[in-house]
Amino acid sequence: MRMRAAALICLLGAVLLLTPQLGAAPPHPSLPGLPDPKVMVGEIGQYGGTFLDSQVSDPRTFNPVLAQETTSTGPLGYLFEGLVEDNGQTTETEPALAESWTTSKDGRTWTFVLRQGLRWNDGQPVTADDVLFTFQVVYDPRIPNSESDVLRVAGKPIQVAKVDARTVRFTTAEPFGPFLRVIGVPIIPRHKLEAAYNAGRFNQTWGLNTPPRELVGTGPYAMTEYKNAQRMVFVRNPHYWKVDTAGHRLPYIDRVVLTIVPDQDAHRLLFQAGQTDSYGVRPREYAEFKRGEKAGNYTVYDGGPSFGSQFLVFNQNPHSGLPAYKLKWFQTQKFRQAVAYAVDRQAIINQVFAGHAIPEYGPESPADKFFYNPRVMQYPYDLDKAARVLAEAGFKKGADGVLRDADGHPVQFVISTNSDNKDRVAIANIIRQDLTKLGMQVTLAPESFNTLVNKLVESFRWEAMVLGLTGGVDPHNGQNVWKSSGSLHMWYPKQPKPATPWEAQIDRYFNLAATTVDQNRRRAYYNQYQEIVAEQVPLIYTAIPNAYVAVRNKFGNIKFTAFGGAFWNFPVVFIKR
Amino acid sequence: MARDLVADRLAVERRREAARARTPLQLAWRQLTRYKLALAGGAVLVVLYVTMLIAEFLAPYPLDFSDRSLYYAPPVGVHFVDAQGRWHLRPFVYAYRAVDPSLPAYAADTSRAYDIHFLVHGAPYRLLWLIPTDLHLLGVTPPARLFLLGSDQFGRDLLSRMLYGSRVSLMIGVLVVLVTFPIGMLLGGIAGYYGGVIDNLTMRAVEVLAAFPSFYLFLTLASVLPPTLSGGARLFMLSAVFSLVGWGGLARVIRGLVLSIREMEFVLAARAAGLRDLKVILRHVLPSTSSYVIVAATLTIPGAILGESGLSFLGLGIQEPSTSWGLLLAQAQSVDVLTQFPWLLYPGLAIVVAILAFNFLGDGVRDALDPRQRSV
Repeated sequence: MRMRAAALICLLGAVLLLTPQLGAAPPHPSLPGLPDPKVMVGEIGQYGGTFLDSQVSDPRTFNPVLAQETTSTGPLGYLFEGLVEDNGQTTETEPALAESWTTSKDGRTWTFVLRQGLRWNDGQPVTADDVLFTFQVVYDPRIPNSESDVLRVAGKPIQVAKVDARTVRFTTAEPFGPFLRVIGVPIIPRHKLEAAYNAGRFNQTWGLNTPPRELVGTGPYAMTEYKNAQRMVFVRNPHYWKVDTAGHRLPYIDRVVLTIVPDQDAHRLLFQAGQTDSYGVRPREYAEFKRGEKAGNYTVYDGGPSFGSQFLVFNQNPHSGLPAYKLKWFQTQKFRQAVAYAVDRQAIINQVFAGHAIPEYGPESPADKFFYNPRVMQYPYDLDKAARVLAEAGFKKGADGVLRDADGHPVQFVISTNSDNKDRVAIANIIRQDLTKLGMQVTLAPESFNTLVNKLVESFRWEAMVLGLTGGVDPHNGQNVWKSSGSLHMWYPKQPKPATPWEAQIDRYFNLAATTVDQNRRRAYYNQYQEIVAEQVPLIYTAIPNAYVAVRNKFGNIKFTAFGGAFWNFPVVFIKR
Repeated sequence: MARDLVADRLAVERRREAARARTPLQLAWRQLTRYKLALAGGAVLVVLYVTMLIAEFLAPYPLDFSDRSLYYAPPVGVHFVDAQGRWHLRPFVYAYRAVDPSLPAYAADTSRAYDIHFLVHGAPYRLLWLIPTDLHLLGVTPPARLFLLGSDQFGRDLLSRMLYGSRVSLMIGVLVVLVTFPIGMLLGGIAGYYGGVIDNLTMRAVEVLAAFPSFYLFLTLASVLPPTLSGGARLFMLSAVFSLVGWGGLARVIRGLVLSIREMEFVLAARAAGLRDLKVILRHVLPSTSSYVIVAATLTIPGAILGESGLSFLGLGIQEPSTSWGLLLAQAQSVDVLTQFPWLLYPGLAIVVAILAFNFLGDGVRDALDPRQRSV
């Protein structure tokens, strides 16, 4: 009770603060049966038309709980939504199915109120029971899904309780900083799935052979057709809960047709033939697509730096079977820093990303508007400096041009990377060339991706690798990389206890940031982690490519960002007449 | 009249006599000179192999040289007339000027002409692995670059890399023949000569080998080669991989030939004279298969060249910074590179030329060695 009183006072405070502005703002739009729809900002558009999209390869399931790969989660994004969603532009978490929420003082209890009048696309009302059912399924150990790990705080599931038909209360074992980032799991309809769940058939429900009309969601579209390896068709959901600023119910566009293609080149050809409306342009294709803008009647949008990073990592794992002297080089901070100085990031940007990238020194991307720390140690390309740093660490270049460590071992190692990724092979080649100038003997070994992953997580028998990671807004998602116990802590995974003081520091900041609810304090912790990583350079970062997308000019309200993509605000995107 | 006829008859007789007096090799050579295409093929091959041997001398730049500001630069134009319309005695080039680094697009900087110098001093090397020198055939003064066939993604001279790459591409065929043919001929010879159980076993082994899809076998074998192998060692290992698959077909044909040769009188004579079996096979039986073997060799070499190109194209053959024509061609794999930087296809042209030359020569040699095609 006390909690609700506090929440009420909070709400009253908010209302009081907002009151002076309310007079100037237009009246909040409402619809019959939907008193408080979510308003999406944008130009007022027109209804109608078809959006032609495309994706590489078929989905593997239509069950949003079981879906893991983007080929499944992508199309299901038209159908299912969570309590909260991320704003593609500000990257902040916003209300979605929930119209508001409150937090208790100790940061352990979150109370969400569902929007009034929400309906599934078959007309049934959305209630707190659906939310409870969703979390019951997610936490069920018999149901394999990736959410159940993410939704654990201090190893324990989040407690979910129904307060009334529209109110749900979540309780975490300890305060959990990234709570809002993880709580937006797609809500599934209890009235459709409970019978199958109780019968133990949930894992077989909503497979690819399900009649598309059976897939009942809250999203802006409903699926009407799926033809294996050909296409998916979606039509507008008439019960959708978002409106434009004039109070018209969204979405504007009537139909979405998603063509399934075998690979990215096929998608590209479809786009150039005018058979899809958008295409994610790779940096090296930028010039060509920019030239074709007029003829193809499209615009190439620049989203700025993306979340993808490419880096060189050295193996510091004592269980890797590496000779002790090699392990010693790789564990030496000065050695790694010297290599960082020897990375010609401008050459990588020019030659690999055709100039459409920025140099990268730290673990977070500037695309992350909130957590990115620009004041980390930088390693501008300087071979003389690299040689000096190596000399400080006891490495000497002999008269024969070979670099040797203090004990006389010549510095030679293998850089592996996955051969199917031409960008990484090129990056590795540029790095190799510069390290050769320093006197190191570096061999390049492009290998199959599976071999590489096996070395990384199982055999640990590798020396150096060029790899990439995709990031997100909240650094917490990267904890399996950065915490010393993480399975993707590439240079020495699954440490029983932190091997070095700086890894212990990073662990500490990650744990602190995870248990802090105040976002500004969390940012301070993550700033610390970024500075440590840049100083210790366990990963030697190279460059972050920019994100580009080509979209036909007929669409209005396109607000492309690297974070949200071209269609994060799809309900207000419309086709101009 | 009658005397003329007699004289003619005598002349023909003499010519026949002369023809009979020639060794089979001389006959074949005479025959070969009539196939212009075969001769042309042979000439091209001689040029290619000589270029390969003196690659360091001919290449304007060392193997791992790169100008990072000139990636994907188009072939440099060689001029005699400058922008002002003046004639130069020496051919010259202009330096590149970056117009748009993101495209990338370059234009010639016509403000200064850079003469092409002959026999310039550059990076030291050993000519024919013996003579230490630093002379190179061609060179220009930086900042101009002599990228006669353009540059690649890293700003490396394509022509130089093609010259170094020809070592791998042209040597691998020869190496494969050197390994495959002794094995194939010996095993085929033994199988055919003895027959029976030995023949049966050998031929079943050949069939098992033939039942493997060969390219996938290459892929598997090539992928287990350790990455630290040096360029040369890798070349040998790849040749071994190809040879392992390649000897079977040859052994089978040789065995068929030997089956009939072993019944011939000269073989019987050799055996009657008490020669050991191995000596009979090596000295009397196998030499009779030589015409087939020579032809098979000229046709095996291009197969190995293509095989290496295929493996390198897929990233399993030769590894950077070493290079081969297949690896160079792999850069032109994607549509956007192909359309924007078409000069990256030159290594493909080199492969085509070498393969055609081998095939023409092989065709000619086969006809030349075939007595039925021989006209006097």
